[in-house]
Amino acid sequence: MIFAQSLIKSYRKGALVTNVLKGVTFRVAQGEFVAIMGPSGSGKSTLLNILGLLDRPDGGRYLLGGADFSSADDDALSAARNRTIGFVFQQFHLLERASALRNVTLPLLYADENTGDEMVLAERALEAVGLSDRGDYLPSELSGGQQQRVAIARALINDPALILADEPTGNLDAQNATEILDIFRRLADSARTVVLVTHDRGVAERADRILAFEDGRIVADEAMQSRPRASTAKVP
Amino acid sequence: MISIPARRRKFARGLLLSLQLLATHRLRTALSVSGLLMGVAAVIVMAAIGKGAEQRVLDRLRAMGTDLLVVRAAPAQRVAGRQRQVDSHTLLRAADGDAIVGESAFAVAAAPAVDQSLVVRWGRLNTATTLTGTTAQGLRIRNIEAESGRLFDDVDGRARRRVALLGATVARNLFAGLDPVGHIVRVGSVPFEVIGVTRLRGTDPGGLDLDDVVVVPLETAMRRLLNIAYVHAVFVQARSSLELEVLEQDVREILRSRLAVRSGVLDPFVIQNQAVLLRTERGAARAMNRLVMGTAVLALVVGGIGILAVMLISVRERTREIGLRRALGAKRRDIRRQFVFESAMLAVAGGTAGVIAGIAAAGAAAVLGPWELVVPWSAGLLGLVCSMLLGLAVGVIPATRAARLEPVEALRAV
Repeated sequence: MIFAQSLIKSYRKGALVTNVLKGVTFRVAQGEFVAIMGPSGSGKSTLLNILGLLDRPDGGRYLLGGADFSSADDDALSAARNRTIGFVFQQFHLLERASALRNVTLPLLYADENTGDEMVLAERALEAVGLSDRGDYLPSELSGGQQQRVAIARALINDPALILADEPTGNLDAQNATEILDIFRRLADSARTVVLVTHDRGVAERADRILAFEDGRIVADEAMQSRPRASTAKVP
Repeated sequence: MISIPARRRKFARGLLLSLQLLATHRLRTALSVSGLLMGVAAVIVMAAIGKGAEQRVLDRLRAMGTDLLVVRAAPAQRVAGRQRQVDSHTLLRAADGDAIVGESAFAVAAAPAVDQSLVVRWGRLNTATTLTGTTAQGLRIRNIEAESGRLFDDVDGRARRRVALLGATVARNLFAGLDPVGHIVRVGSVPFEVIGVTRLRGTDPGGLDLDDVVVVPLETAMRRLLNIAYVHAVFVQARSSLELEVLEQDVREILRSRLAVRSGVLDPFVIQNQAVLLRTERGAARAMNRLVMGTAVLALVVGGIGILAVMLISVRERTREIGLRRALGAKRRDIRRQFVFESAMLAVAGGTAGVIAGIAAAGAAAVLGPWELVVPWSAGLLGLVCSMLLGLAVGVIPATRAARLEPVEALRAV
């Protein structure tokens, strides 16, 4: 699903050049649940942005689903983000004035293909994250965990092959964090690829595999011994 | 590929979402469109007052005959094959008026007329005045109305009755405050019954007293007073004062052919119009239009700046939303379109409210105030269209700014 080879990225601020990625190479297979773990400032969010086609590397090769987007124009990148990638953010990034259902349908506004009745799709996506009874609620009427589940439903609505999550549990308490991670676990079990960025070892250990990241490089590639199943606690 | 109805549905849903988001800042949104609202409303009220005033001016000018052509007979040079030196004879006949109305599409009515200076007497008083003979139609198109008594009609004319209408000046000179109606005056040496006094007409732009006149039926004047078979003038009313020039050409051709004027020979008549009045009329209309146009442009500029300012703030505030939409697959043009349409929606909302407020205010002013107002529906429609175009135009700057944002940066914004 993901093939990254010697990815390099640096930022220039005035005369100061910061090398954020210093040659990152790894592969992720379809259906894998991978955590990129590292301290803040280690470049893992930059890596995620490149994986998500929000940013371009300065050097190296990146293939997403076998396709090379290095010379693709902005429209093609946008279309690929819409079709093959679902983003989940630490801040949820929900539109405050719109209902949960409306938030979930947002990616459909930008979809090229007509995939059927949007409301039905949105309800199905909310059901998948256990929120089918909260469709008409505004984000402010939902708990943090529920808001993040709405965001996951939004990421799922175009049926993407890849889910990219940037500190998805960073703003949640332990209970909610567990529930969110359970959802990612189930997504990976149903052959979706999940890449999650975190600084929290406890969160990373829920993945199949941990890429330890430090100072712009992968310093360890560690497979978890026993793939933890989805926790028995039923998601409400 | 995506089907058209689906695309339209998507577009409508996008707009709906935009509306929901705009509703977040109700006060600010209201303030931003209030400039346009007041501007459009002010323009509508001004246009209403202006149109009302213009209408009044035009009505008055028209009452003085801005839609009239006067064909005045020049003295005939040959009568019955003989050269004439005396300039009292003309070739114009009463039937020429009917012919003009029959043949030219631009003429709606015509009335022949004769006139002559003479003396009118009552008792021991006398006054030198102008006698006018014309038809009932002629009274109408020249706006001669009765202040007291009655006007004469076609029956009076056909019977050649000796009935007379006195102009206000003549009535004052002879009767000095008494009601002349029913009294017998002598016009020249012929007794006439006064059947009415005409409504005050004032002077023409040259200062000629339009009330120093005695008006009698055409046939009476021709057969009983002047003993002539020709007329001095034919008044022709145009369908509109704007068509006077084409009407003049028609009249010229019709008369030249009726009078069998050979080419190369001068017209045996002159055609006059109220050139001074027409200039005044057109000048008044133009001045009013310029005033309203100027105000409208000013109002739109001010309103546009208000919307532009709010849209710029909105783009800055919603940077993260823009980043999110880009991450979810929005192309740059999707973002640009969204903000242009939001701007247009604001402008249309403001414009609509302004048109409603303006028409309501104009209506209220018409009921309460001393003004005559003409509610300018066309101005209302124009206001709406202009508001929308304005919104689209001023939306381009903030929308382009929004579309240029890099998704990564935008998502990081606070």
